[in-house]
Amino acid sequence: MEDAKKGTVTSLASIFPAEEAQKAAKRVEDTIAEKEKELDRLRGFIADNNNLINLVQKLPEELHHDIMVPFGKAAFFPGRLIHTNEFLVLLGEGYYAERTSKQTTEILKRRGKSLDSQINSLEAIIEDHKAEASFFSATASEAAEGLVEIREDYEEENSGKGEFKSGILTDADKVKATADDEEFARMMSRLDELEKEELAAESGNHSDENEETTSDFDEISYQKPIDINLQNSEDTQQRITLEQINDKSIATEFPGECSYQEDISDQLNFASLALQSQTREGKSLAKNLKNLDATSEKSTTHLEEKMVQPTTASKSVVIQHQPSQPLFDRQKASTSSIVEHAGYAQRNSKEKNSTSSQVGCRTSEPSFDSSKAFTGSILEHAGNLQTREKNSTSSQVTGSQPSKPVSRFRMQRR
Amino acid sequence: MDDSCQEKIQKYEEFVDRRLKPDLVRAIAERDKVFEQQKVFSDLRRNIENLEKNSVTSLKTMVNLGSEVYLQAEVPDTRRIFVDIGLGFHVEFTWSEALNFITQREEKIKRQIEEYTQLIASIKAQIKLVLEGIRELLELPAEKSLPQHIF
Repeated sequence: MEDAKKGTVTSLASIFPAEEAQKAAKRVEDTIAEKEKELDRLRGFIADNNNLINLVQKLPEELHHDIMVPFGKAAFFPGRLIHTNEFLVLLGEGYYAERTSKQTTEILKRRGKSLDSQINSLEAIIEDHKAEASFFSATASEAAEGLVEIREDYEEENSGKGEFKSGILTDADKVKATADDEEFARMMSRLDELEKEELAAESGNHSDENEETTSDFDEISYQKPIDINLQNSEDTQQRITLEQINDKSIATEFPGECSYQEDISDQLNFASLALQSQTREGKSLAKNLKNLDATSEKSTTHLEEKMVQPTTASKSVVIQHQPSQPLFDRQKASTSSIVEHAGYAQRNSKEKNSTSSQVGCRTSEPSFDSSKAFTGSILEHAGNLQTREKNSTSSQVTGSQPSKPVSRFRMQRR
Repeated sequence: MDDSCQEKIQKYEEFVDRRLKPDLVRAIAERDKVFEQQKVFSDLRRNIENLEKNSVTSLKTMVNLGSEVYLQAEVPDTRRIFVDIGLGFHVEFTWSEALNFITQREEKIKRQIEEYTQLIASIKAQIKLVLEGIRELLELPAEKSLPQHIF
């Protein structure tokens, strides 16, 4: 592209030399010929099939038919067909079924149908190839005629509002998207690892409930995701406020919306991970409680430290919740508190941001008072997804993820 | 010199690729066909010998009607057998006659197979020869065995 001129002029022949295009056309035609051969073969099958159907229909008309019975490939015996209404039909894989003439006819008709569909698809493919071949030959002739291609860059004329949109939002989103993609990849690998660990831990639980090593490992490994989650949620929090400012001016069509929603789903994964990890800690706590070791204390402190890290309010949440749900044992209460916390934080962010459309109306325990911003953001995404993306991810995370650990506890308690 | 050399090499290569190799493929295909015939007749001989040994005079069998649909058939008298003698002719034989015919036929088939094997060997030799010629034209050392990748 040159600066002086506004576009470029390339002759078609320089991009697609005539001989090359002709070669391509020839190749495509060869393919067509090949397919045609296959088509003929299939047509032959169909003809055979129809003949066979006629034969099978006709055979039971008489009790026996005099034929030459083949004996190997090179010899015959004079003989006759008997039991003319008992056919043995190959179903495949060496299995045969004994059928009557009528049933055999039906089987053969079904086979014919599948052959028909094969022929149809083959014909469609040949049509495609023919179009391709005609395109190639057209290109070849055009290149031979000396056609040129003129290419000119499109320049936007009004860059007032569009500049604003793309300048602030999409740039920010882009940066975020790349950062989040990396983060997401890392988190996904992490999640996979955790899944494995979970499976291992689960099988371990069934076989040996006193196994200490897996639970300790869980605690250590979940430390990191929470921290990452913290960063992410803070980022998104900022971005969401940004978006809301812009939402006032541009309410309907939002340029960065697509990527934003993807981000949200990413964030949601993190959020769910956080939930999962915390519930997992609860699980390990449960184990420890069962053992009634000194390690139970350790684990409790671990849990509470971690709860403090993501949110200053979470500790009070746990405490507040315990009396409110006295039927649950302790580790379950902590789990549910996290889940409930989601709803609570949603409410909180709702008040703060006053964006009713983004926040899902999940049932929340109204007994809490205050929370930090980032906790709100973690769970706000869950709400976001509920309203905006009604896909499998949202249902998985909001529905099954928190409930899954609980059921596991139940299983454990039995 | 160089140009003419290149031309020659190209001509030789074309000869190998367009003439000798298709010939070879065809010859091998023909030989495979004959092998198949041999197998057919050896099977037939074995079957007839089996019938003879068990003195089977009537038998029931399944006849393939096509597309793997079978129907029962019975042969009331197995002592007369019609054997394909080529060109679409079938001759009615007794067992001993059939076995005699099969022996002769097998001998002929063996000769045919030998012929084809000779032909294949000679085509391979020609290919090797031409490739050696190309090697000489390119002045490559002999131990660098170019024809290796062909067969």
